[in-house]
Amino acid sequence: MQDLVNAVAEMMEDEAMTLTKKYVEEGMPALQIIEAYKDALSIIGKRFEECTYFVPELILAGEMMKAASEIIKPLMKDGQSNVETPRIGKFLLGTVEGDIHDIGKDMVHMLMDINGFQVRDLGVDVPAQRFWDEYKEFQPDIIGMSGLLTLAYESMKKVADGLNEMGERDKVKVIIGGGQMDEQACKYVGADAFVTDAVAGINICKGWVS
Amino acid sequence: MIAGWENMSSSQRQEAFLAKWASGEGIEFASDEARVSYQYRAGLIMDAVKLKKTPDRVPVVPLATFAPIMLYGYSAKQAMYDPHILGKVCLDYTRDYDVDATLVPPMVMHGPALEVLGYHLYKWPGHGIKEEQGYQFVEKEYMKAEDYDHFIADPTDYWFRVWFPRTHSSLEPLAQMPPLYGTMELPMAGPWLCALGAPPIQEAYKALLEAGRISFEWIQALGPYIGQILSSGFPMYAGSATKAPFDVLGDSFRGTTQLMMDLYRRPQKVLEAVDRLVPLMISMGVGGALANNNPLVFIPLHKGADGFMSNEQFKKFYWPSLKKVMIGLAENGCVPCCFVEGGYNQRLEYLAEMPQGECVFIFDRTDMAQARKILGGKSCIGGGFPVSLIITGDAQQVEVETKKLLEMAAGDGGYILSIGCAMDEAREHTLKAFIQAGKKYGKY
Repeated sequence: MQDLVNAVAEMMEDEAMTLTKKYVEEGMPALQIIEAYKDALSIIGKRFEECTYFVPELILAGEMMKAASEIIKPLMKDGQSNVETPRIGKFLLGTVEGDIHDIGKDMVHMLMDINGFQVRDLGVDVPAQRFWDEYKEFQPDIIGMSGLLTLAYESMKKVADGLNEMGERDKVKVIIGGGQMDEQACKYVGADAFVTDAVAGINICKGWVS
Repeated sequence: MIAGWENMSSSQRQEAFLAKWASGEGIEFASDEARVSYQYRAGLIMDAVKLKKTPDRVPVVPLATFAPIMLYGYSAKQAMYDPHILGKVCLDYTRDYDVDATLVPPMVMHGPALEVLGYHLYKWPGHGIKEEQGYQFVEKEYMKAEDYDHFIADPTDYWFRVWFPRTHSSLEPLAQMPPLYGTMELPMAGPWLCALGAPPIQEAYKALLEAGRISFEWIQALGPYIGQILSSGFPMYAGSATKAPFDVLGDSFRGTTQLMMDLYRRPQKVLEAVDRLVPLMISMGVGGALANNNPLVFIPLHKGADGFMSNEQFKKFYWPSLKKVMIGLAENGCVPCCFVEGGYNQRLEYLAEMPQGECVFIFDRTDMAQARKILGGKSCIGGGFPVSLIITGDAQQVEVETKKLLEMAAGDGGYILSIGCAMDEAREHTLKAFIQAGKKYGKY
C-alpha cells in the first residue's frame, strides 16, 4: 500500500481517499489500511520537524486521517478499535484559564499523538483546579500548558505553584508554550521548559520520557 | 491637499504627509512648549521612518491596548463601557509615562455598541471574558468554501449580506435582503425597497443605526480627551489601520484551519480572494489616515510568521498581496507600519524587497540583530523587547536589556523602540524603566 502512504504524505487528498475506498472494496483488512495512514503520518511528522511541512500540511493530514477513519471504523471487528500502539508517555494538555486560543494547542495535541504520546486535552480556558484534578486522575508524565496572551503567565504559575503545594511538582515535567513564552516567563511560572513552536516542544517531551 | 501632490513620487508624498503631520497643523496646542514637544516627538518618528537623517534619539513607542487601563486600576470592562474612564486613563498614561507617540483610544472599542449588534466575532469583558481582561478574537469558519466565488465577485455584497448576518446576530435578517443593484432604475428599485420594509430587516437596520448612534455619542465623549492628548504635545502612533489580505481571509472569514487547507484544496481561489482584497485594504488605510491627518497606517501581521507556512507558501499566498497593499499605501503618501507578530527570521529577505525608506516593521520575536543586518538602511525597524520582562521582570533587568537591544538594533537611525506586542497588561516600575532607558541609551 505504498501508493496510499505516498498519497497521504504528499498531501494528495483526493487520491488518498480514492485509494482508501479502493482498498476497502478489495477487502483489505482495516488494520492494514490504518497502518498505512500511520506510516504516512510519521513521514509527515518528520517533515514537520525538518521544517519542510508546516501548519497547512499538519491540518490537512489531520483531516485526511479523520475522513479515512470514518470509512474504516465501521469495518473494524469488535475490540479492534481499541488496539492501540504502545504509548511512550502520558501528556496532559490545555490552554490556561483566561485564554481561549486553541490553534497552537491543537497542533501540539496532534503532533504529540503522532509521536506516540497518550494525550488528554482539556480544551481552552482551563482553570487550575481542573489541571490539578486531571493530573491526579490521569497521572501524566508531562503537563503542557498553552497560552497566547500575557495573562497566561499568571494562570500557568498558579498551576505550577499548586503542584508544588501538592508535593507533586518533582514527579511531573511542566512545559509551557505560546507566542509570548521565553526564558523569563518560564522562570516566573516555574516550568521546566518553554517553547514558541510545537516541534521544539515535541522534541523536549520525547527527550524527557526516553 | 498638499501642493504639487499630483507630480510627487511615493517617497515625496510620504515626506510631505509626514511633515504635515509632524508640524502639528490643525492642533490647538495648549502652549508653545507643547507645540515644540509635539514637533520633537513626531520629528523623531519621521526621521526614523525616512532614513535620511539620524534622529536626535530613538523614538520610544510602546504599543498598548488595555495595559494603561490596568495600570490606573480600572478593569477592561470599565474602559469599554465608560468613555470618560478610557479617555482620562489615556491622557494620564500619555503624560505620566511620557511616550513619544501614544495609543489610539478608539482601539479599545465601545461595549454597548457591540451588545446592540449581538457581535460575536470577539468575546469581550462581561461577554464571555472576565471583566478585568481585554477582548479576544473568536476564530471560526464564517465564510464557507462554496462562498469563495461570491466573495471574489463582490466582496462588499458578500460582506454585507452574508458575513454580517453570520457575525452579528442583530444583523441576521440582512441575509434576506436582495442585492443593492436593483436600485439602478426605477422599475427595479421598488422590489428592493419593499424588501427593506420587511419587519425583521427594519429591526436589523434599527440595530445598526442604534449602534452607530451610541458610538457617535461615545466618540464625542472621548474626543475632548484625544484633543487634550494632542494639544499637550503627544502624537498618536497611527492614523488608521488595515490588514494583510491573507490575514483578513484567515482571521475573519475562513479561519486558520480552513484557510490553511485551502492552500491545497483551492489555491487559485485563495489567490483570487487575497488579490481582490488589495484595493479594499489600501483604501481603508488611506481613508483613515487622511481623516486623522496622520500618515502612519498600522498593519498587524498574523498568519505569515515562521512556522505557519513554508517560504514557498509565504512567497505565493501571503507576501505578494501584502506587498501590493504596502506599495499602494505609500503611493498615497501613507507609511505602512507592519506590526510583525511572531518570528520572521525566515522572511526578512522578502521584507527587504520594499523600496527604501517607505515603511516600518515593528518586530515581536524576530532576531533583532538579523533584522538590523538585513533591513538596516532599507526600512525602519522597531520592537524586539520581550513583554515578559515588563510583566515579570524588575526595573534593573529591564534597563540592562533595553540598553542591549538598542546597541544591537538602533544603528545610526531607522529604529523605533517598542515592545514586541501590544500590551494588554504591564507593570508601572518596569514600563517606566523601559521608557527612561530608551531615552537615556537611545540618544544618537
